[in-house]
Amino acid sequence: MTDFLRRLLRSPQGALGCLIVGLILVAVVFGSYLTPYGPEDMQPLARYKDPSAAHWLGTDQYGRDILSRLLDGARSTVVMAVAATVIGTLGGAILGTGSAYLGGRADEFIMRTNDAVMAIPSLLMALMVVSLLGSNSANALLAIAIAFMPSMARISRSVALTVRKQDYVSAAIARGEGAAYIVLREMLPNVIAPIVVEMTIRVSFAVMLFATLSFLGLGAQPPATDWGLMVSEARQYLHRSYWILMWPSAAIALTAIGFNLLGDGLRDALNPRT
Amino acid sequence: MSASYILKRIALIFYTLFIVSILVFGITQILPADAAVMMLGENATDEALEALRQQMGLNDPIWAQYLHWATGVVQGDFGTSLRTGQPVGPALFSALGTSLTLAVLALAVMLVLAIPMGILAAVRRGRAADLVVGFVSYIGVSLPEFVTATLAVVVVADIWGLLPPAGYVPLAEDFWGGLQRLILPVSVASIMMIAHVSRMVRSELVDVMHTDYIRAARLKGLTPRRVLIRHGLRNALLPTITIVALDVGYLLGGIIVVEEIFSIPGIGRALMSAIQSRDLPVIQAGVMIMAATYSIVNFAADLMYAWLDKRIQYD
Amino acid sequence: MPFNRRAFLGTSVAVAALATVLPRVAMAQATPEAGGVLRVAIDQAVSVIHPLLTRVNPEYMTAELLYSGLTRLGRDMQAEPDLATEWQANDDLTVWTFKLRPGVTFHDGAACTAADVVATFQAILNPDFASPARNNVGPIDTIEAVDDTTVRFTLKTAYADFPVALSYNNARIIQASVVEGSFESLRTSANGTGPFKLVSYEPDRLVVVEKNPDFYDPARPYLDRVELHVFPDLGAQVSSLLAGDIDMIATLGPNDFMRLDGQDGIDVLRSASGQFCNVNFGTDIAPFNDARVRRALALTIDRDAMVDFMTEGLGTKGNDTPLNGSYPFFKQIPQREQNIAEAKKLLAEAGLADGFEAELIASDRPAIRTQLAVALREMAKEAGITINVTTMPHATYLDQVWKKGAFYVGFYNMQPTPDGIMKLLFTSDAAWNETRWNNTAFDALIAQARSTIDPAKRTELYTEAQTLMNDEVPAIIPAFFDVLGAKRAWMQGYDIHPRASVFRLDFAWLDAAAPTKG
Repeated sequence: MTDFLRRLLRSPQGALGCLIVGLILVAVVFGSYLTPYGPEDMQPLARYKDPSAAHWLGTDQYGRDILSRLLDGARSTVVMAVAATVIGTLGGAILGTGSAYLGGRADEFIMRTNDAVMAIPSLLMALMVVSLLGSNSANALLAIAIAFMPSMARISRSVALTVRKQDYVSAAIARGEGAAYIVLREMLPNVIAPIVVEMTIRVSFAVMLFATLSFLGLGAQPPATDWGLMVSEARQYLHRSYWILMWPSAAIALTAIGFNLLGDGLRDALNPRT
Repeated sequence: MSASYILKRIALIFYTLFIVSILVFGITQILPADAAVMMLGENATDEALEALRQQMGLNDPIWAQYLHWATGVVQGDFGTSLRTGQPVGPALFSALGTSLTLAVLALAVMLVLAIPMGILAAVRRGRAADLVVGFVSYIGVSLPEFVTATLAVVVVADIWGLLPPAGYVPLAEDFWGGLQRLILPVSVASIMMIAHVSRMVRSELVDVMHTDYIRAARLKGLTPRRVLIRHGLRNALLPTITIVALDVGYLLGGIIVVEEIFSIPGIGRALMSAIQSRDLPVIQAGVMIMAATYSIVNFAADLMYAWLDKRIQYD
Repeated sequence: MPFNRRAFLGTSVAVAALATVLPRVAMAQATPEAGGVLRVAIDQAVSVIHPLLTRVNPEYMTAELLYSGLTRLGRDMQAEPDLATEWQANDDLTVWTFKLRPGVTFHDGAACTAADVVATFQAILNPDFASPARNNVGPIDTIEAVDDTTVRFTLKTAYADFPVALSYNNARIIQASVVEGSFESLRTSANGTGPFKLVSYEPDRLVVVEKNPDFYDPARPYLDRVELHVFPDLGAQVSSLLAGDIDMIATLGPNDFMRLDGQDGIDVLRSASGQFCNVNFGTDIAPFNDARVRRALALTIDRDAMVDFMTEGLGTKGNDTPLNGSYPFFKQIPQREQNIAEAKKLLAEAGLADGFEAELIASDRPAIRTQLAVALREMAKEAGITINVTTMPHATYLDQVWKKGAFYVGFYNMQPTPDGIMKLLFTSDAAWNETRWNNTAFDALIAQARSTIDPAKRTELYTEAQTLMNDEVPAIIPAFFDVLGAKRAWMQGYDIHPRASVFRLDFAWLDAAAPTKG
């Protein structure tokens, strides 16, 4: 384990990724206690303010402190994205690995039905699920998890198939091990490495999918402090103060880059061949 | 790759459309909106609404409604838009043409840029070129399309005045004017895919170059270039086909946002306004058409995969 | 009395006729020049072009280009001649006779006669067709053709505003043969008597119309063509105006207005208006069935801040009635201001000393509904009222909340008359009785005002109605929005209309600087 961590931190991507994600996690855990102002407090006389000593990142269209809103919003934005990704990935991985193990007609049926669902683009799928359930953050989480599932299933299956052909799986089958044992102990761990990499990258996709849902009016709803919603609300005030748009955009970009770097670092660290 | 495989694969497309049709019909039936109210508007009397429900068969059992709708779809009749009162099919197919222009251009731009970028980064792993490509791809996957699009319009159109900010002119009507208006949307729609695919090409290639198989090829005394092209690329690009085919789904979704911001009357915008106004027949038809497009692209990708896979095995 | 009335009506017709010949904007500037293509940006799809069924501003604009009504609405909110050249009422305002312009033809060449007018109004009044005009053209009982160029309306009750009501967006004359034949055919084609003829129609992208050479006024329209370009993204229409890709933006938000103000070659257009967002109470649902609770909430609002939040200062304070200085017969009653102590006192009297919690629903279009809800949520906190804001897609809102809900945000265009807005939203028999206020004293005042001719007396009646509303607060109206637009300087003869749904593009023209000229 320490060996793995050392490998992770030795690569520049891994180190930088850990640093950024670490900072973000600090904001997630402590952010709402560190806000200098209430994230919803409006100040009619301090609207569209540029960054200053009183408001480090400036204020928005209602005179709300942007730093406070960003810190407050870290929790919902990041936790939601990670949760949606984890749920979607777990569901997909179980489906894909299971299907690969079963093989034959069952595999065929599961994967073809899975492919059929995947024919609906994930944003569109998310849009439909949210329209169905109502626009709010919890439903958006579920929608993104569902939208991620089919493609994660397909990726895990193709990885699992490669693994399945490997000698140690054949050996396990030859030893007469049970199905659950083979899937959980032999196949899944070897499937995990590529999936973890895909997953960390997916977190940034999830952050962006959330933001896009909010832009289309179907994600988080005002006065929530989700970064995506902050960006989409800020678009119409861009020409009054571009800070309102820049800060949450930068936060999203930083999160996405952080998780991508971490994903790459993990990939290198998990890959014993390197 | 026999004829029976292809036939089976085509049958699977129909299976896909069948599953999608059940899904989309189910979802639109549960959507919280009354089709009759949507059609007649806020001023309709209750009697008029009830008469319309009767006429549209909204009071029939759900399986009967599905059969009625599916029969229409098979015959190419997607019903009538609740919003405009016009037949859905012709309007959506002309929108699909617009979207395909956008999608094909974005895909082409992506392939032309992403694959060389990925190869370059893998070959020069750890060196300047790798870092530059890596940086570009990190930036590319770090912002949602609606943000990149907003920034692109502000910088390229508003500040520099280089390109028209929005609007759509069919290429057949005014080729240069139409193309100019497509540059920004195509760029925005392809950025994320360029980043994703170049990253995938890079990591696949790096992986492949570390396999025993490649080591063996090296040991045979083949030149590095030959090892890379004959053995490395072939194996590395194979999974990339799947990735690109998967990304087409992403592209189709991204097109919804791009069309919304750049005022392009494609299928994404048709779907978006249908979802907003609960125009059920348009949602149903739009999702079916998107799913069909995606299935056909993946069919092509699978054929290609099977073809290349065979050659690799017997190489 | 008859003499007075005739003089009164005669004057308004004369003023209107003058305005027709010399529209205000053109008077101040050069003589109109013919030719050119006007490119207009609209912010919503033109889903419906059937003139009797249009529902949103871009659709009204399209119908106005293609069709004519009996009267049309001037910027001063008076009725001007359109297909009708003059009109007269009997002494008790229940029988109205309209003289039609002779020799008018539809785009297909057929003559437009009194028979078409009669058929059109019968279609409007037919509930099967569900035309929004049905609730807005006044209490018509019967309509008959006296001769080819004269129609006579008999009303159920006296109605002083009838000629103005006839200018309603959906009251546009269509052919009798269409009414009897395929009424729905006008969803995809057009055959009107308007200044322009339909060339092409793609609901989500572009509507193109061309000059009608047989329009009843030989001088107008000045433009050869008008193109309506749909821009679902508001930023894109502003960028396109700046780039010179379009000539005019029909509807603009306050921020985009400020961005365009002062830019070279661009004129921003602004008109005070009676357009507003309201917070509706279901006055039959607790706790909002208690007028003290409603008034308490109204007292929590800092109205100056609200005008700023919602309109960036491009608007005026509201006083919880739908009327303001943009309406005729208006007199200011004492302005309600923020008073948290009074609000708390009222809540205590109503047995809610600890405040209460409520869910405020705002549909997502336009965004200003949510802005109002979010700002109200913050202001109400001070009085111990906890408001949870729920937003939802407009279609879901119409289906589940509108006219049924306990606490939700509405958004309305200015109507041509005080009677129009009251009968639309607030009387017991209102077309959209959102609040179920059902106040008989209020109903009586509105009914009396609509049959009164003397302007002073009407003003008095509407002021009394305002006071009653302000006291009972069936809905909070915190601010009115100025109607905003923009155009390139090379476009002339156009000014924005306070009603927001009237455009009068047949008066617009392009000068030599316009890129589409020549």
